[in-house]
Amino acid sequence: MNFYLGPIIIGFLLGFILGTRIQISSKSKLKFDAEIYAIVLITAIIVAYYLGPFPYYIDVPIASGFVSAIIGILIGKLLFGKEKNDKNQIN
Amino acid sequence: MSIILKLFTFPISLIIICLGINTILGGHITPGGGFQGGSMIAGGLIFCIVVYGLKESPFKLSDNFLGAMESIGALGYVFLGLAGLVFSGFFMYNLGVDIYSIVPASIKTIFDYPDPLNAGIIPYLNFVVGLKVLVGLSAVVIAFLESDKILGEDEQ
Repeated sequence: MNFYLGPIIIGFLLGFILGTRIQISSKSKLKFDAEIYAIVLITAIIVAYYLGPFPYYIDVPIASGFVSAIIGILIGKLLFGKEKNDKNQIN
Repeated sequence: MSIILKLFTFPISLIIICLGINTILGGHITPGGGFQGGSMIAGGLIFCIVVYGLKESPFKLSDNFLGAMESIGALGYVFLGLAGLVFSGFFMYNLGVDIYSIVPASIKTIFDYPDPLNAGIIPYLNFVVGLKVLVGLSAVVIAFLESDKILGEDEQ
């Protein structure tokens, strides 16, 4: 079984960039707790399994870029996805 | 919007975003690439913005973020092209593959994407194009949703 670092690193990087933008306001009625992210992670692993070893077809039996992207999103959310009172925000 | 939509949109948009990223990653071998993957990511972001509205959307896309990503995408593309010009004499020369053997081995190693196909700089170009497209399409939708405010300011 081979691991190719390219898709893992770039997938993580793109996911991390987008994960840092998930900031749910405390004033909002929306509540997405840790359970939601756990369900998303499990769903993503299932989707990655059914995608197969995309895009190389010869490495690990799940889409490694897909899994690294969801892990990047979750880590980005955990590290930087906190509410900020940024006046530059469009919304 | 209905409660069911509000409950499901955010988790599903995360999966759509991951599919977009996966499309970018396979751009040098399979159909798809930077533009298509970036559009899918923008689709996930737009899905959230349309359902929750700009103020309530879990994805906070600030001016600074959009500007920085657009700039990184454009400059990354130009710098990859200029790197080819500097090290080989040809703009946008694929330094990682180096089919004419005119680039030092150390430079070739730096620009070679770590995968079994030795695609060179193509995956990096897909990455920067993806960044540009996801920001560009999201910005268009945000501008449309903000149009009331913009038009109101013009009238005043």
